[in-house]
Amino acid sequence: MRALGSILKDYLVLVMILGLALITAVIQPKFISPANLVNIMRQFGPLILVSLGMTFVIIGGFIDLSVAGTINLVAVVTISLIDPLGQAGALATGLFLGSVCGAMNAVLILTGGATTQAEALFITFGMSTVYSSFALIYSGGSTRHFWDLTTSHSVFDSIGAGDVGPLSVSFIIFLVALAILWIFHTRTAAGRAISLTGGNKTAARLAGVPVDRSIVLIYTIGGFMAALGAIVLFSRITTAAPVIGFGFETNAILAVVVGGTTLKGGKGSVLRTVMGVLLVIMLNNCLNLLGVSSYMQWAARGLILVFAIWLDNRKEVQGNQL
Amino acid sequence: MDTAGSEIILSIKEVTKTFPGVRALNGVSIDFRRGMVHGVVGENGAGKSTLMKILSGVYKKDTGTIVFDGKTIEHTTPYESMQSGLAIIYQELNLVNTMSVGENIFLGRFKEMKGMRGTHAKARELLDSIGCKVSTTKLVSELSVSTKQMVEISKALSFQSKLIIMDEPSTSLTSEEMALLVKIIHQLKAQGISIIYISHKLEEIFDFCDIVTVMRDGNVIDTKPKQDFTRDELITKMVGRTIENEYPERSRNLGETLMEVKNLNTRKLHDIRFNLKKGEILGLVGLVGAGRTEIVRALFGADRVHGHSISINGKPVNIRNPKNAKDAGLGFIPEDRKLQGLVLPFSVEHNISMASIERFTRFGFLRKSSEKGIGAKQVQSLRIKTPNVKVAIKNLSGGNQQKCIVGRWLEIGPSIFIMDEPTKGIDVGAKYEIYLLMKQIAEKGGAVILISSELPEVLNMSNRVLTIYDGRITGEFEPEHVPVDTIMRAALGLAGGAL
Repeated sequence: MRALGSILKDYLVLVMILGLALITAVIQPKFISPANLVNIMRQFGPLILVSLGMTFVIIGGFIDLSVAGTINLVAVVTISLIDPLGQAGALATGLFLGSVCGAMNAVLILTGGATTQAEALFITFGMSTVYSSFALIYSGGSTRHFWDLTTSHSVFDSIGAGDVGPLSVSFIIFLVALAILWIFHTRTAAGRAISLTGGNKTAARLAGVPVDRSIVLIYTIGGFMAALGAIVLFSRITTAAPVIGFGFETNAILAVVVGGTTLKGGKGSVLRTVMGVLLVIMLNNCLNLLGVSSYMQWAARGLILVFAIWLDNRKEVQGNQL
Repeated sequence: MDTAGSEIILSIKEVTKTFPGVRALNGVSIDFRRGMVHGVVGENGAGKSTLMKILSGVYKKDTGTIVFDGKTIEHTTPYESMQSGLAIIYQELNLVNTMSVGENIFLGRFKEMKGMRGTHAKARELLDSIGCKVSTTKLVSELSVSTKQMVEISKALSFQSKLIIMDEPSTSLTSEEMALLVKIIHQLKAQGISIIYISHKLEEIFDFCDIVTVMRDGNVIDTKPKQDFTRDELITKMVGRTIENEYPERSRNLGETLMEVKNLNTRKLHDIRFNLKKGEILGLVGLVGAGRTEIVRALFGADRVHGHSISINGKPVNIRNPKNAKDAGLGFIPEDRKLQGLVLPFSVEHNISMASIERFTRFGFLRKSSEKGIGAKQVQSLRIKTPNVKVAIKNLSGGNQQKCIVGRWLEIGPSIFIMDEPTKGIDVGAKYEIYLLMKQIAEKGGAVILISSELPEVLNMSNRVLTIYDGRITGEFEPEHVPVDTIMRAALGLAGGAL
């Protein structure tokens, strides 16, 4: 009985996903139509990439609100560089820019001596507005479209809409990123250092674990993955507006926490985040199909976040009883 | 003293409590008598804290009966148990730092006290009754541990408590503060209040407890009046085996100079200089806050320093952070086990391996089988009690947790081992094992820098002690040949020693 209970608790999110899918499929058979499933897979792309990066930041015991700003900046800069630099140059510069934005957060956090998640919250919130305004200044506030470009944008087209066999290109990008990040987290010394940093910064530092390096690393990964998400996103919609990243930071944090990575740091997994993202996207999709108003959907999302954090804290209480 | 004559205030019968994988209490029965100070002793993990948490309503018992003051207690919340007259004062204290003394005493009961004026007036009365002079409007965050304890005691009295449980109250008290606590305990006893006094320190048990219960591995081993116990018997019953001495023989094969520290200056420390020989245990003696911990933290690169020059084996080393220190051959057991030593949600294995990650990493990748070997090896060689190495370290007792931290460093074999309060909150048996480890390190040609607030421990373990007062070294002694009060005078800044 106890075993069943703990499995249910550990995989509550998965159970919720299955339950939600089942209910929707019964009420609205359109849900399991191929078109809708492809739609889900496409939506999956940008958010999952950003959320995978966010997972590392949260496992490391911090938080990153700057990803929205990073996405805005990377999107407008990358699209503008396709003509002058070519596709490969634009892609590389975009990813590099995202990593720099992320590393910049870490540098500010370290030099500012911000040791708590709350301080990091405000610093990255500030940086988000800085990156966003850079995006607005750089683009002059205007939106760029693929059809305005003079040179080829075939690579971005295939990232946005291409397929390899039954899988979309963006889905393959996700699978590769997931595999690399999962191995990085569970199998490398740097990944372990990140977990230990999130588990107890002071103890990790006093055991000679490179805590500062871990902090730079988590934010750089966060920034890089936000940039990757930005590229997949604007490639799909063939348009880069300087406000394209709006709401991504909250959705990513929601997905990570709903997936079961603790906000307290230390414990978590990128695999859990995949489940979390799936729930967030399916929730949207199902509620849309069921005809629930978008205002109501916002409320649902908020309540699920609160529920996930509540669940997380309950696990903590029970774990401490011994 | 006629201990049998007095009436029973609290009776515990056949209480059991099981946590996943661990039987914490195994049919425990104890009678506590009115107006007595009842000592409960036992190693960490013996079940004392679990029992107290059941009494105070934090945990639910599995089976058994508890009768308090004539009423059977089934399940209560901590607040209910306080109201019924059973108060518990935890080691880590339970006060709201940002509120005043008076507010803390009557937290949530301001209305009954007829507002803040009544609250402070009543709080004043309670504090005066135990001879505490602190102002009721002072913030709790500004108080010393000792004064906070007084506030807790006043709070317990405000509930007309008939029984007060004190969980390791003396851990962070100075000897004067301790004397004050003893005075209050006698006073409470005179008012007919019963005290359950939980402690590791045998001196205290023999000093003022009337009855003593020994617990081990979730069982009550013995309960009888203090005078019927001998010191050796008590220790034997606690650890389940005979311990010949509390401290091992000093090791005596001092070699050449291993480390030389010069011009160590920080905001708090002034021109600290000393050297450390191979095979030596060097004790740092001083009051809490004198700068002992600051010295070792600076050495280990944990705090910012204004300047220092350190050489190990004659070669200068530059230690800017703990990683440098580790690479230079230093190991460090920090003062606060939970906050600075352990990564609580992580497993025993990962806690042990965290200082030696480089050893089982190849091309950046962890070799998990080697890591598992490291965990298993240390668990075995240090006799760490744990079901397996995958268990979260928070489930281990304090002594076993501390051994994990020791094992973490032994794995990389440091030549200089810094231990800041290594036996704090650890039971007698585990203490002795840690002493033996120190000795082994020294005998293998390493050196130990030992800080401890327990003076007998430093004096019996160290080859040499430095006294620290107000950020300066005030004396250097060989504790074997110098009377204790000479060392204490230097530690109190009263007289210079043989420097």
